[in-house]
Amino acid sequence: MAQFNLYQEEFHPSPVMHIWLEFKRSHFALIGSAILLLFCAIAILAPLLAPYDPNVQNTNTILLPPAWEGNGSISHIFGTDALGRDVFSRTLYGCRVTFGSSIFLVLIAATIGVALGTFAGINKGIKSSILNHLLDSLMAVPTLLIAIIIVAILGTGLWNSMWAIILALIPQFVHQTRTFVREEMKKDYILLDKLDGAGSTRIFWSSILPSMFELLVVQSTLALSVAIIDISALGFLNLGAQSPVVELGASLSQSLEVAYSAPWLVALPGFCIFLMVLSINIVGEGLRNALRNRLIH
Amino acid sequence: MNPNAQLRIIKSAILLSFSLILMLGCSKQKTQITQAGITFCSEGSPASFNPQLDTSSTTADASSHQIYDRLLEFNTDNGEIEPGLASSWLVSNDGLTYTFQLRKGVEFHDTPYFTPTRNFNADDVVFSIDRWRVASHPYHEVSGGSYPYFQSLGLKNTIKDVTRINGYRVEISLYKPDSSFLANLATDFSVILSAEYGMNLLAEGSPSNIDVLPIGTGPYKFVSYRKDQFIRYQRHSDYFLDTIGPEHLVFDITPKSSLRVAKLITGECDAVAFPSQNDLEIIRNRDDLTLLERPGLNVGFWAFNTSKPPFDNPKVRRALALAIDNTSLLEAVYLGQATRAKSLVPSASWAYQPNMQDTGYNPVTARKLLDEAGIPDNFTMNIWAMPVQRAYNPNAMKMAQLMSTYLADVGVTVNIVSYDWARFRENLTAGMHDSVLIGWSADNGDPDNFYRPLLTCAAIPSGTNRAQWCNPEYDALIESALKIEDSDERRIFYHRANQIIFRETPLVPIAHAYQYQAVNNQIEGLTINPFGGIRFDDVVRK
Amino acid sequence: MLNLLLRYINLMVLTIAILVIISFSLAYMFPGDTLTNISGIVPQSNEQRVALEAVFKLDRSIFVQFWYYLENLISGDWGVSSSSQVSLLEEISIAFPATIELITYALLVSIFVGIPLGFIGGIWHHKPFDFGVVTFSVVSYSFPVFWLALIFITIFCLQLGYLPLSGRVNFLYDIPHSSGFILWDIMRADIPDKKDAFLDALRHLILPTASIALVTTAIFIRFTRRSIMDEMNKGYIEAAKSRGFTTKQIFFKHGLRNSLLPILPLMAMQISTLFTNAMVVETIFSWPGIGNWIIQAIYQRDYPAIRIGMLVVSVFVVTLTITIEFISRAIDPARDKFQRGAV
Repeated sequence: MAQFNLYQEEFHPSPVMHIWLEFKRSHFALIGSAILLLFCAIAILAPLLAPYDPNVQNTNTILLPPAWEGNGSISHIFGTDALGRDVFSRTLYGCRVTFGSSIFLVLIAATIGVALGTFAGINKGIKSSILNHLLDSLMAVPTLLIAIIIVAILGTGLWNSMWAIILALIPQFVHQTRTFVREEMKKDYILLDKLDGAGSTRIFWSSILPSMFELLVVQSTLALSVAIIDISALGFLNLGAQSPVVELGASLSQSLEVAYSAPWLVALPGFCIFLMVLSINIVGEGLRNALRNRLIH
Repeated sequence: MNPNAQLRIIKSAILLSFSLILMLGCSKQKTQITQAGITFCSEGSPASFNPQLDTSSTTADASSHQIYDRLLEFNTDNGEIEPGLASSWLVSNDGLTYTFQLRKGVEFHDTPYFTPTRNFNADDVVFSIDRWRVASHPYHEVSGGSYPYFQSLGLKNTIKDVTRINGYRVEISLYKPDSSFLANLATDFSVILSAEYGMNLLAEGSPSNIDVLPIGTGPYKFVSYRKDQFIRYQRHSDYFLDTIGPEHLVFDITPKSSLRVAKLITGECDAVAFPSQNDLEIIRNRDDLTLLERPGLNVGFWAFNTSKPPFDNPKVRRALALAIDNTSLLEAVYLGQATRAKSLVPSASWAYQPNMQDTGYNPVTARKLLDEAGIPDNFTMNIWAMPVQRAYNPNAMKMAQLMSTYLADVGVTVNIVSYDWARFRENLTAGMHDSVLIGWSADNGDPDNFYRPLLTCAAIPSGTNRAQWCNPEYDALIESALKIEDSDERRIFYHRANQIIFRETPLVPIAHAYQYQAVNNQIEGLTINPFGGIRFDDVVRK
Repeated sequence: MLNLLLRYINLMVLTIAILVIISFSLAYMFPGDTLTNISGIVPQSNEQRVALEAVFKLDRSIFVQFWYYLENLISGDWGVSSSSQVSLLEEISIAFPATIELITYALLVSIFVGIPLGFIGGIWHHKPFDFGVVTFSVVSYSFPVFWLALIFITIFCLQLGYLPLSGRVNFLYDIPHSSGFILWDIMRADIPDKKDAFLDALRHLILPTASIALVTTAIFIRFTRRSIMDEMNKGYIEAAKSRGFTTKQIFFKHGLRNSLLPILPLMAMQISTLFTNAMVVETIFSWPGIGNWIIQAIYQRDYPAIRIGMLVVSVFVVTLTITIEFISRAIDPARDKFQRGAV
C-alpha cells in the first residue's frame, strides 16, 4: 500500500539527537569514534582476545619479529619481546590498563570537580573567597611534579600515579562547573524553581546537572586525552605502573634497550597511545563542533 | 594584504626554517677542539677518583690509568709485569724483601688547585702504601677508611714495613712470601698519590679533597666532574713517557647501554664501554664502527646472603640453585656470547677445572629440598639486580626477571631490588640483600684473585664477599695454595675449594662472558685491557 | 588598579607560603630517616646523629624547626644532595637555567608558529588551508611527547645523522658556567672555537625544543583560530560591515586586538604543561635541566633534592602564572577570569 503523508510533519529532534546529527556529518569524527569504540572493546575484552598470558616468558622465542617480516612467526603476530613475551597480548593488555585506568580516573576527577565546582558556584560566600584563587594557583604546579612527590611518599605504582593525575585534572572540572553553574543560576528557569520552593540540592540535580551534561562530556574527552598521555608518560619514566602490570608507556621504555634490534617494540606501544589519544581528540573536536553548531542554529 | 601574499610569506618562512635546520645539520665536520679530543661514553659515575677506595671498575676506569701510575704495570698483551714508576726491582732470596728503584724526573700534575714543588720520589710511594696499610696514618680514615681490594686480599697482614732507603729507592718487607705480591702492585688499585699534595690538604684542613680533586703522575690531568654527566681531563704535557694521546679527554657518563650505542652511531661518542649484547650485531655490521672483543677473565654469579636465614641453610641455597635453568639465562641475557660457568675461574685460567660437575636444573628436586628445609609456598625473597652493565652480566635486571619466573614455579616469590650503583654496593656491604646478581672481573691473571676476594672470611668486611660466607676449611685451602709456586700443585687446592663451593653453594656461578668495547673507526689504538681499567695514553684520532 | 595589585601580591605570598609549608612537611612524610631527609647526611654514629639533630633543631619544637628551615631557605643554605653530597643551591643554579632556556625557546617557537597559523586558519576557516592547519593541530596535540622525541631521534639522529641526541653542547667544549644559558654563555666565553661551539649548541637545541614546542604549538593554533572565528562572528563586526567597512579594515582595527588578548592568559596555563613536557624530554635527550635532575633524584631516592627541587619549580611556575594573570587582568579587566582559560 502506498504511503503518503497527509500533513507536513515538522521534525523536532531532541538536543542529544541534534548533536548526533551534527556530529555524524563529519566523517573524521565517525572514524574517530569507531577507533575509540575499538579501544573500548579491547579494554573490556583483552583477556578473551589475547592469545597468551602477557607475562609468560619464553626464553626459546626471544625477540621474534612481527609476522609480516621474513622470519616472523604467525603464532606471535606482533613478535615477542626481550623476555620472550607475546607482544600482541601485551599490547592488548597495555591498552586495557592505560585506557581503562584513564577512563576511571577521569570519572573520579569529574565527580570531585563537579561537586566542588557546584558548591563554589551555588554558594556565593565561597565565590569571592581567596581560597578559590589559592587552589587555582597551586594547581599550576606541573602534573609530573605532583606525581613525583606522591611517588616519593607512597612509592611507585599505577594507583599512586593515578592519584597525581586526578589531582591535576580536578581544577578544569571545577572551573567549568563553577562558571556554568554561576551563569545558570542567573537564568529565569532557576528562579522559577526557587519560587516553587526547590532547595539547592534539587536545583542542582534536576535543573543544572541535565543541562550541564553535554559540557561535561566534552570536557571529559579533553581530560581523557590528557590522562592517557600523562599516565603513559609516568609509566615511561618508570614512576607509574610496575611489572607485572602491563602498561603501554612502561612497555615502551622497557623496549628502549632493544630499540635497534627490535624497533617494533618501541613503535607499537607508542602508536597505540597516539591512536588512542588521536581518536579521543577527533571525537572531542567533533562533539564540540556539533555542540557549537547546535547552539548557533 | 591579499591572501596569496600571506601564503607566500608562510611558504618562504617554512622553507627558511627547513634550510636553517639543514644548514645546521650539515655543519657536522669536526672542528679543532673536537678533532683534538676524544669522548668516551662510560657506564656510570665513579665513587671517587681514588681506586684504592673501591673495587668497582667504573672508578678504576675513570682514574687508574688516566690520573695515576703504579710502581709496576701489566703488559696488556701477555700479562707480564713491566716497570712503571719503578724502573727496576730486586727480590731477596727468601722472598721477603722487595727493593724498588724509582724513576727520576716524573712530574705530578700542575692544576689550578695544586702546584707541585718537587718531582715524584720515595716519599710518595711510602705515603700511598701507608695510607691503606697503617691505621694511624693521617689519611687512613679519610673518605671512609675502607680499602676493599687490599683488605680482601689481607695485604695489610702481609706487609711488614715500607721504608725509604733514599729519595729514589724504597724497600718493602713482608711477613711471609707471597707469590702474587708483585702482581698486586701492578693492579689498578695500587696507584701512587702525591705526598706533598696530601700534606698541603692536611694543612688546609680539607684532606678528603685528595680523592675528589685528584693529583697523580698519570697521562691525564683532572679538569672537572659532574656526577652522572661528565668527567673532563686534559693531557699532562710533562708526562714521563712519550704518549700520543689526545689533548682533551671526556668521559660522557651514559648509564643506558642503548643510549651509548646510539651516541656512538651519531658520533657523539668515539668509544663506548659495555655495548649491549643486543646491539653487537648492529655494530659489527656497520662500516664506521669496530667491535673489540676478548674473552674476559670474569665470572657472573648469583650470591646468597648466607648471614641471613633461611639462606644460611645450604639446602635452601642448593634448592634455589636447582630451580634456575642457567642455560636459558645464558641464551636470553648474554645472547650466547658467554660460556656456562661451573666454578669461579674461566677456562683461560690454568686453575680451570674442566670436569667440574654442574648443579643442573631440576625444579622438582628444588621444591622437595625447600619442603625439607621448611620453606613454605609463597616464600618471598629479594634478588638485587645491579644497575650497571658489566661484561659478566650485561643486564642483571632482565636476568632477575627471568629468574623470578623460574622461582615462581617452585613457589618462591621474588622482589627485584635495585639502587644507583654507589648506594647499591654500600647496601650490599651492609648485608641488606637476600641474594644478588653480580660478578667479578680479575685484576690479574692469578686464580687467587678470584678465590680470595669472592669467598674468604677476610673479604666480608671489605664487601667483595657478597655471599657474606665464611668457611675455615675453604680459607685454609686458599691460604695454602698461595704459599706454593708450582701451579700444578696449586691447582689441586683450588679444585678442592671448588668442591666446597659446590657442596655449600654460597653462590651460583652463571657465566664467563666476552668483554666488548665498541669504537669509531676514526679512533686508533684503543684496546681492551684484560687486567682492569681502560687506558687512553696511546689512542689517536686519524 | 592598586587594589588589584595588592590582591595578586597577597595571593602570591599566600601561595608561596603554602608551598614552603608543604616542602617543609615533606621531609616528615617521605619514607626513611627524617634527619637524612632534611640534612642529606646519613649519620655514621650516634654522636654524629645527636650533633646533626642539634644543628637542624630536630630536638626542638616543630615551629623552631620550621623557622630554622625558613631562615636557611632565605639565606641560600639549601642543604646537600644525599646522593652526591653537593650543595643543592649550586646544583639547581646549574640545572634550572638549562630548563628555562629550553622552555623559553619552545614557547617562542610555539608563539611564532602557532599564532600565525591559527590566525590564518581562523580567517579562512573551512578552506583547505584551514583544514590542513586543524589536522596538523589535532594530530600533533595527540602525540605523546616521549614517543615524539624518540621518533625525532630515530629520524634525525640515527637514520640521517644530522643532529646530536644528547646534552646541551659537545662536552669537549669546556664552556665556563656564568649565567647558565648556554648560548649566552658561549657568546660571553673566552674560548677558541666560539662559532663552532655556538653552532654545536644550536644543533643540540633543535630536537628538544621541537619536541616540546609541537604540543604547545597545537594548542596555540586551536586557540587563536577559535578566538578569531568567534570574534568575527560578533555583532560589532556585522555592524561595522553594514556601515561599509571592508572585512580587512574591521579586522585589523578591532578584531585582531580583541582576539589576541585572551592568548596571554593561555600562555600562563601552558607553563605547567611546558614544564611537564620539558621534564620528560630532558630525560630522553639527557638535557642537564631541573626536570632531568628531579627525575634522577627520585630514582635515587634523594629526598632533600626532591624537596628543594619541587619548591623551586613550583614557586617559579606559580609566580610566573600569577604574574601573567595579573598583567592580563590589568590589560583586559572586562573579561571574566575563567572564560579566558577555556580552549
